[in-house]
Amino acid sequence: MAMKGRLSEFSLAEIFRLMEQSQKTGLLTIRASHETSQPLQNFYIWFKQGQIVAAANRLDSRGLATLIHQREWLGEQSKPLLVEALQSDRPLGLHLKVKGSLTAEQLKLLFYTQVMRQVCSIFRFPEGWFSFEAQVHLPVSEMTGLTAVPTEVTLEGLRALRDWSALAHKLPDPNSMLVNTTRDQSQFHINQMERQIWELAKSKETLLTMATTLQQSIEKVQQIAFRLILVGLVEEVPLVIALPNEPLTGDLSHELSTASSQQISHSFLQNLMGFLSGRTVAQAH
Amino acid sequence: MEIMRLVVTGPVGAGKSTFIRSVSEIEVVDTDRRATDETAALKPRTTVAFDFGRLQFGADSALHLYGTPGQSRFDFMWDILIRKAHAYILLVAAHRPDEFHYARRILTFMKQRSQAPMIIGLTHTDQPDAWNEETITAALGFFPPQTCPPIVIVNATRTESVAQAVLTLVQHLMMSQSCLV
Repeated sequence: MAMKGRLSEFSLAEIFRLMEQSQKTGLLTIRASHETSQPLQNFYIWFKQGQIVAAANRLDSRGLATLIHQREWLGEQSKPLLVEALQSDRPLGLHLKVKGSLTAEQLKLLFYTQVMRQVCSIFRFPEGWFSFEAQVHLPVSEMTGLTAVPTEVTLEGLRALRDWSALAHKLPDPNSMLVNTTRDQSQFHINQMERQIWELAKSKETLLTMATTLQQSIEKVQQIAFRLILVGLVEEVPLVIALPNEPLTGDLSHELSTASSQQISHSFLQNLMGFLSGRTVAQAH
Repeated sequence: MEIMRLVVTGPVGAGKSTFIRSVSEIEVVDTDRRATDETAALKPRTTVAFDFGRLQFGADSALHLYGTPGQSRFDFMWDILIRKAHAYILLVAAHRPDEFHYARRILTFMKQRSQAPMIIGLTHTDQPDAWNEETITAALGFFPPQTCPPIVIVNATRTESVAQAVLTLVQHLMMSQSCLV
């Protein structure tokens, strides 16, 4: 079963969290466009054990080689080396670095352009389709040998996002509170405002209260909270929005609200299990 | 009379009402309609909406099934239902990834209020766009997989499938209770 859907249903940020947590290996294909009137473009992101190892907007295995060529980092004498590298089973970037044709800095710059810049731009797409295919061959010709943590990419991609309309229905409710899921946020490179929200989550305040405390708009606080939720630093806890100011009507509601929470007896459970077992068998035939 | 209260929750379209209807021995009660009967109309009322079904299996023993209200906001009825539940099942439609986010919110809401044992029931797993079990549970926040509660594949329209799901939940409840002793 392939994992597929629309980005408006399951956002790129959620996909990245899933990839990282499940340590997926495979190819994520995104079909999206900046404007609804424009034709859809394809983007490909390769994952290895939950980490992003490459990204491209083509499937001919020439994306990274083209980036290197555009920068004119390989002289004529290195061209045979490129051919040799493309035939090896080592990531192209790493192969060229080992052979002394690329420096570590150049490799980092290539990776930033290939992965960070390209992937972060996809967060801005209002609509699109995605599909994930596991068990695909990872293209060493598109790999630098460097990796990116999906949640770090998410943080960067969402920080740069200006139009949040596509994610509006995903944002935590202003009346929800946040709870910290970890005591240590040092593994994430969070900014000052994100750290403040993370600290306020310890006092179990609602997002509305946080917005007042920080003198920020509720939308901004919701967006920051969403980022922190996606990277796994906090969890949203919805609160009850309305309490009854009048008695509940009907036998059922009354019975429920006054029912005791006494533990169920062992004999009751045994009898129920026997009854249900008989029911499954009886109905199956 | 000894009564066990089982809450059936999940996003809209997951099959909560069908699930209760498939196993209930009485006509499933929609409390929205019930609250508008003549008796109720005489009293000041707060209208609530949840499905109710019953399974009587002894002179003094009954299983009550409550479906959480359909709206996406968490109102007081959710609070009452979960606090009074002995166990609950979260139904998730495997082919609707747009609802996984809401299912995750339901879970956090429930866990914050109750330690009652729960299981996950995956419905619509036969649909062509259905996601697999492992991916859905990860999307619901159960990672590593060992942290995940029992999962059952449910066809909410079939009595035997629903009975099997309830049986799994009762077994899980029994194990939880024996762990507490």
